[in-house]
Parts: sequence; structure tokens; C-alpha cells
Amino acid sequence: MIRTFTQDDVIRYVYHETSEEESQEIEKAMLCDAELQIMYKEISGVKNRLDEAQKAPSDMVINNILNFSKSLNLLSKK
Amino acid sequence: MEKYKISDSKLVSLYKLGSEEAFEQLLNRHKSRVFTTIYLIVKDNYVAEDLLQETFIKAIRTIKEGRYNEEGKFLPWILRIAHNLAIDNFRKEKRYPTVVLEDGSSVFNTLQFAEDSIESAQIKQDTHVKLRQLIDELPDAQREVLVMRHYMDMSFQEISENTGVSINTALGRMRYALINLRKKMKQYNIAYDQNIYPR
Repeated sequence: MIRTFTQDDVIRYVYHETSEEESQEIEKAMLCDAELQIMYKEISGVKNRLDEAQKAPSDMVINNILNFSKSLNLLSKK
Repeated sequence: MEKYKISDSKLVSLYKLGSEEAFEQLLNRHKSRVFTTIYLIVKDNYVAEDLLQETFIKAIRTIKEGRYNEEGKFLPWILRIAHNLAIDNFRKEKRYPTVVLEDGSSVFNTLQFAEDSIESAQIKQDTHVKLRQLIDELPDAQREVLVMRHYMDMSFQEISENTGVSINTALGRMRYALINLRKKMKQYNIAYDQNIYPR
């Protein structure tokens, strides 16, 4: 018998928090449940977008951090 | 999570031995995730950059002074430092109310306006900027869970322990956050991936 899955189950699946067995059941259920498939498509779509929305800091800040690290190295070598 | 050729723990070990290149790799690998986590809490680019600097300086000192715990993973550890600093800053800001000008507008609104016009001239069409705004607009509880689960890669169990709510509540907040974002993305025509990929 195919189990019924909720949005919360799909969220756990998309974020790799389902057991292997549960994941297989969800994948099996998605094959014959169009609603579940849409749910998965929408949630994983937003998740992918969130990854792309990451913001990068300026090069200046990155250089400051790298210089700080190097300066500590120089101090310890003295 | 992305898979890298050289693991974070290997890079930390090399860094301990004096390899600045190893540290540069670690920094470049995680700078955006750490920065986004901070930015989504403090909502200010300059403050977020200061806190990013502070976060990595703390990490550098801890590693170089031999106090880094080898058993833990680097990313969750540094994200925890970043999150704590961002939350401290957020609370501190709340204690000091916004300065209001004679016309009743906030000083920060004026600064925001200046920043917006530069931004709109340069990257008006940038959907990533819009998406971050949409995340900013989420209710605090939903944004908190979203940042912890998505950007800090904490499990729902860990979120539950850290925020003092049940796993189901944390999951429910995440559900509302994702549903709200999807609705708003549709509203603002921010296309999201329509294809189904295997996980």
C-alpha cells in the first residue's frame, strides 16, 4: 500500500531528512501522485532559488580577513 | 551541500601548519553562505560585512591558538559564530531606537533611499536582490527557521533544540516560509525551477 505524504514530509525529503526507506516510499508515491509531484516541484524550486540568492561580500572585506590571517603568521614567525 | 576535492577538515589542518592558501580556500568556499546568514538577520550590508570580518577573525584566532575542536565540522561551527554575532547585534540595535528626523522620517530611511537609488540604477533587474527582500519580509519566526535550515544547514531537530519549539512547529514554520516565498515569487514573476531533478 502506498503511504500518503504531507508537505512536511516533502520538505524533510527535499532537505535530506528522511530515512532511506522513507525516501524510496516518497519517490514511489510521486510516480503515481500528481499532487505530490507538484508539491515536490514547487518546494525544490524555491530551495534552488534560495541557493542562488546567496549574497557575496565585497573583495575588500575578504582581503582584510586574509591580511589579518597573514599578519598573525608573521607575528608568530618573529 | 557541495562536495569538494579537499575536505574542510583537511584545509583546517593545513592552515594550522601555516598554509595561508588553505585558509583562502576555506574562506572563498564559505564566504557567501556565512555572509548571507548574517545579512538575512541584520539586514544591512555594511553591518553584515563588519560581522563577517569579526566572525572569521574569531575563527582564525581559535584555530591558530589551537582551540579548534577537531571533532566538529568547520561550516556549522563558523555559521554558529556568525549567527551568534548577528543575533547579538540585532538585539543591541533593538535597544537603541532609530533616530527620527524633524519631518518624522528615520535617518536610516534616508540612508536606505540613497542606497536604493544606487542599487536600482545598477541591478534593478536582479531577481536575487528581490528574493532576499522577500526573505526579509517574512515573519521573524519563519525567517529564523529558514535561515537556520537552509543557510546554516541545521537539522529540524537542532533548530527545535536551539529555538525551544517542537520539531513539528519548526517544520510548520519552514512550510509557511517556503509557501509564502513561492506565492511572492509568483506575484513578482520570479521564476523558479520548474524541472524535477532527482535529489
